[in-house]
Amino acid sequence: MPIIQTKNLSKHFGTVKAVNNLNLTIQEGEIYGLLGPNGCGKTTTIKMLCGLLKPTSGSATVFEFDSMSRKFQQDIGYMPQETALYPDLTVHDNLTIFGKIFGLSNSELARNEKELLDFINLHEKRDVPITDLSGGMRHRVSLICSMIHKPKILFLDEPTVGVDPELRLNFWKNFNELGKTGTTIIITTHYMDEASHCTKIGLMRSGDLITEGTPADILAKTNTRSLEDAFLAFTAREVA
Amino acid sequence: MVFTKSKAPVITRRIFLGLKHDRRSLGMILFAPIIAMCVFGIAFSGEVEDVDVIVVNYDSGAYIPMLNINISFSEKILGNIDTDVLNIKYESDEEKAMEQVENGEINAVIIFPEDFSRTLVQTIAAASGEGNNSDIRSPADFATSFITIRSDNSNVNVANAIIKAFQDALSKTMDEYGVEAPVGLEVDPVYAEDAEFIDMFVPGIMAFAIFLLTTLLTLISFVGERTQGTLERLMATPIKESEIVLGYAMAFGILGTIQAMILMVIGIVVFDIIIVGNVLLAFLIAALLAVVSQAMGILLSSAAKREAQAVQFVPLIVLPAFLLAGIFWPVEAIPTWLRPASYFIPPTYAVSGLRSVMLRGWGLEHVWYEISILLLFALLFLTGAVAMLKRSRR
Repeated sequence: MPIIQTKNLSKHFGTVKAVNNLNLTIQEGEIYGLLGPNGCGKTTTIKMLCGLLKPTSGSATVFEFDSMSRKFQQDIGYMPQETALYPDLTVHDNLTIFGKIFGLSNSELARNEKELLDFINLHEKRDVPITDLSGGMRHRVSLICSMIHKPKILFLDEPTVGVDPELRLNFWKNFNELGKTGTTIIITTHYMDEASHCTKIGLMRSGDLITEGTPADILAKTNTRSLEDAFLAFTAREVA
Repeated sequence: MVFTKSKAPVITRRIFLGLKHDRRSLGMILFAPIIAMCVFGIAFSGEVEDVDVIVVNYDSGAYIPMLNINISFSEKILGNIDTDVLNIKYESDEEKAMEQVENGEINAVIIFPEDFSRTLVQTIAAASGEGNNSDIRSPADFATSFITIRSDNSNVNVANAIIKAFQDALSKTMDEYGVEAPVGLEVDPVYAEDAEFIDMFVPGIMAFAIFLLTTLLTLISFVGERTQGTLERLMATPIKESEIVLGYAMAFGILGTIQAMILMVIGIVVFDIIIVGNVLLAFLIAALLAVVSQAMGILLSSAAKREAQAVQFVPLIVLPAFLLAGIFWPVEAIPTWLRPASYFIPPTYAVSGLRSVMLRGWGLEHVWYEISILLLFALLFLTGAVAMLKRSRR
């Protein structure tokens, strides 16, 4: 049984078809990368899967629940594209607020906070307000804020934007480790190069899923050497 | 030449280009002054009207042998009362009438004593030098007729309007008869005996400050939740929409109570105001108003995409409350056609409730009406705010 499945999932904003008949199947422990240029429907897809947007037609199931049922929110973590933290509150306070919303005990909270601050290497900023952090630091805190309750599924909307290369590599190492422990990660990015870390990739363009498969599959299909070339090859094929 | 090189026009142009795209700001610039002018115009030109009073008239009139008629000056005076200002009802039972003032159903009871006209006639006759007596005596040497006004002074403006209406009617009557006679207006307040304008003002300012600040703070804070993305993050957690709204309500309920405490202490210490009622009941009203206001702030936040747009709501929040809630001018001074609007804005009930508690010393058995209406507003707005949050999932 796949952990996430969508059937002809569509979202239209007026005449704009943001997502068009999307059929996705994501298995437990997969790191699924939604790839594509800006405005191709990645974010809209993630929002629908988190139950933040109601599909115009079609459906999505998460842990066998309908995406709009609000029955699985305890087990998912969502990192929005914006920083989405309370700017006047410290890193610690932000983590506490969201941890408490997920019902964590003080000891769980302390343990998870320490672990996650290790992960993003930001212990010294624990008691600093978000406003006083650099853009990249905010982004890192935003990431761990969605992981404070150790969710089974992580939805990450462009988690690596504005993060330096070294840390980005570290992120992916960690995502892979999480995947091995059974956490499912759905990640959007428009950096084609880092998508090779995913176990599966879906290429999106103008609301459509144009192809899906492991990074190796996709390279083989298009007979290209990089995912960037592969994407361009698919686009060219469609146009032709 | 210096001017032509200036880059200032570019900035001016930028502002106008911005306005072209931001119709709401443009509308605000053009219409807010009109609205402000109208609001203040209406408010300041407003006279207190439609004040309900009861007259208990014991006056048995005075017989004037010369003309062989029985004349009642009290009726003449009452006939000259400006009926726009006072709605007069008559009652023979003084106790029953007083009960109605005590309940707040009417604003005052006016009592004419049995010998009102008689004393007046005697005084006039004496003063006009009856029998062409050479020694002139001033009217002050004679007994004075008294009208007793037993009014609810918790609204000083209204109480003053009643006195003024009687003074006007009195002098008009005297003019008609071409006489000058001493008639005393004896004011014997039922509530808020030593009330001055400041006493009436403090409950009003409390309600105004709480309403304005809470609505604004929630509005800005909630627009922030939207623009920062924290609302979205919250909505992806197991938290319910109602829990978000209730969380806000509790926070601002507490803050509203603290504001009320501070203002009350300042009122007592600095302005020496009188508080005769239960302070806790006043805090309850203040907290309720804060809850209503924060729910309104959340509702308004859906209409603002950015903090800057939220700021444009300020006149829309301030002006109606300023004019219509009875804070500075009593509701009785608002033109009749505009008065129904007063009853649709929550601070009106908080002002009246706070005044009743603080100046009249009324308990829950009297202010339940204001409290229930505030509760109703709270329920309505809170439900609306929850529904609005749920709708954002579409």
